Amino acid sequence: MGINTNLMLEIKDLVVEYRTEDEIVQAVNDITLWIEKGKSLGLVGETGAGKTTTALSILNLLPETTGFIKHGTITLDGDPIIRMDEKGNSVAAMDDSDMQKVRGKKVAMIFQDPMTALNPIFTVGYQIAESVKLHQKCSSQEAEKRAEEMLELVGIPAGRKDDYPHQFSGGMKQRVVIAMALACNPSLLIADEPTTALDVTVQAQVLEMIKDLREKFGTSVLMITHDLGIIAEMCDEVSVMYAGSIVEHGNLEDIFDKTRHPYTQGLFNSLPNINNRMSRLKPIRGLTPDPANLPMGCAFADRCDYVTERCRFEKPVKKWLSDSHFVACHLYEDGKDESKL
Amino acid sequence: MQEHIKKKKESQARQIWRRFKKNKIAMAALVVLAIIVLAALTADLFWDYQADACDINIPMRLQKPSKEHWLGTDEMGRDMLCRIVYGARASLTVGIFATTFALIIGGALGAVCGYYGGRLDNIIMRCTDVLLSIPGLLLAIAIMSAFKPNIFYISLALGISYISKFTRIVRSAVLTVREQEFIEAARAIGAKDRTIIFKHVLMNCMAPIFVQYALAIGSRILSVSTLSYIGMGIQSPTPDWGNMLSGARAFIVGRPYLVLGPGIALLLTISAFNLIGDGLRDAMDPRLKK
Repeated sequence: MGINTNLMLEIKDLVVEYRTEDEIVQAVNDITLWIEKGKSLGLVGETGAGKTTTALSILNLLPETTGFIKHGTITLDGDPIIRMDEKGNSVAAMDDSDMQKVRGKKVAMIFQDPMTALNPIFTVGYQIAESVKLHQKCSSQEAEKRAEEMLELVGIPAGRKDDYPHQFSGGMKQRVVIAMALACNPSLLIADEPTTALDVTVQAQVLEMIKDLREKFGTSVLMITHDLGIIAEMCDEVSVMYAGSIVEHGNLEDIFDKTRHPYTQGLFNSLPNINNRMSRLKPIRGLTPDPANLPMGCAFADRCDYVTERCRFEKPVKKWLSDSHFVACHLYEDGKDESKL
Repeated sequence: MQEHIKKKKESQARQIWRRFKKNKIAMAALVVLAIIVLAALTADLFWDYQADACDINIPMRLQKPSKEHWLGTDEMGRDMLCRIVYGARASLTVGIFATTFALIIGGALGAVCGYYGGRLDNIIMRCTDVLLSIPGLLLAIAIMSAFKPNIFYISLALGISYISKFTRIVRSAVLTVREQEFIEAARAIGAKDRTIIFKHVLMNCMAPIFVQYALAIGSRILSVSTLSYIGMGIQSPTPDWGNMLSGARAFIVGRPYLVLGPGIALLLTISAFNLIGDGLRDAMDPRLKK
């Protein structure tokens, strides 16, 4: 693909392991993904597919004693965050203090659960101002003013800046978290299941807000979710992740209308169909494989309706079906873009 | 409009105070402690320290309680009430200094252990284990035998023997807070380790630390009296409850009030600190929030 200066984020061949005393868990297994400036990428997958691990790798915030980036590079807006050394091992390209400048300023993260992502003993205004003060040279008054602006921007009256997190509802807290994340105008926003902990009506509001803010500031977004509805609403491109690998990638049309991978197909089949209420949901049978003990061949083989002998001992490789669409499945080895499902 | 939605805003400290006030026993303890502290601070208005509390006045020795000497006089002819009040100064000063010293050192060690974990944690915690295995009073006596018995060294000796307790308490508090998502969030906005430890982590551990602080002061006051009683602490003629008890011991049969005075003072002070500690624990526990 070469060096594309228009890329906000580029992750190449990333392998992340969690090492505990008795096993090694391959959380992320050789994934490659990229986000163009101003675009948004949806990362879909089940619990445990490695979505959050990928996000934490970008910030180099994996748990220090157990999480290791084994292979691969991460480049953010042209600056390497993780690079390969001469021996072929991945190492952090920045020291801690440089990395701290990147976190929050260039890349901000919205966490899954707003109930726990705010420090209970500080006022929300203070917490937003803190993230401003960390990255911009400005006085406390200016930071506080910025915090007020940010609160207004996410639809909370600035007068509530002296309230503590427990005085807000879940949706309001998530707005505060978003205000905090956007306070320094990051170029990349990682939203790790930003609406999972919220109820449906509030979900829509929060998503609408992220969308508006994205258009306003031209922020690139990595949207991590397991909700295909959110993807359809929010994203330009989609990567479908399964057991630490990306099994299918494409733009919205590729994924939603020209679904190719049996797993993606399974995800769609698990959604209720509003046009045919009598139809039964068709869940994907079985469970995700134990990430400590991944099968030799395709990780999805045991759950796949189209499994062949080959799937069990040979890992499928990426097959580009069009300029924007690839799939990793033996069904499409011939490279023809027609559904085999 | 703004006026309308402006609610009663309460800081954390006020909430704690409001809940603390409801606890009658703790409030009573606070009043008792306030009286003791006030008496110690204003003692100079009623007595002359050197003449009344220290100088030997043999003709006046072992007087019974009277109008002039409310609690009588001791074996050296000094007014008991005066000495008890001045004794509070020594006890409180050492109690607070020793505990604060232990809190600062132990707290910092505990925070570092809890936050970073790993080998450093292991090394520091094994050292505190060693310190814990030596009885606190014995350690203090050992230290005191090497230094001059003045308030500074006594505080130091009593503080050192309490460091490991604070290390353990702060470490365990930090361990639970460290795993919270807002710590990860703080790291994700690029906060430095130092900021995270001292602001985000420690401020969330204040409840157990405060409680332990109050309890520890009581325990240190008892220890300083013990040290003084066996002659390793504050030395006569400087008044201290411990050395007063030691002096009055010989007259316990004929003049029991000589032992009762400093004894009750000790009892009141230590109970006050313990009850305040308990009250704080209840007031700071968010599960009891009403």
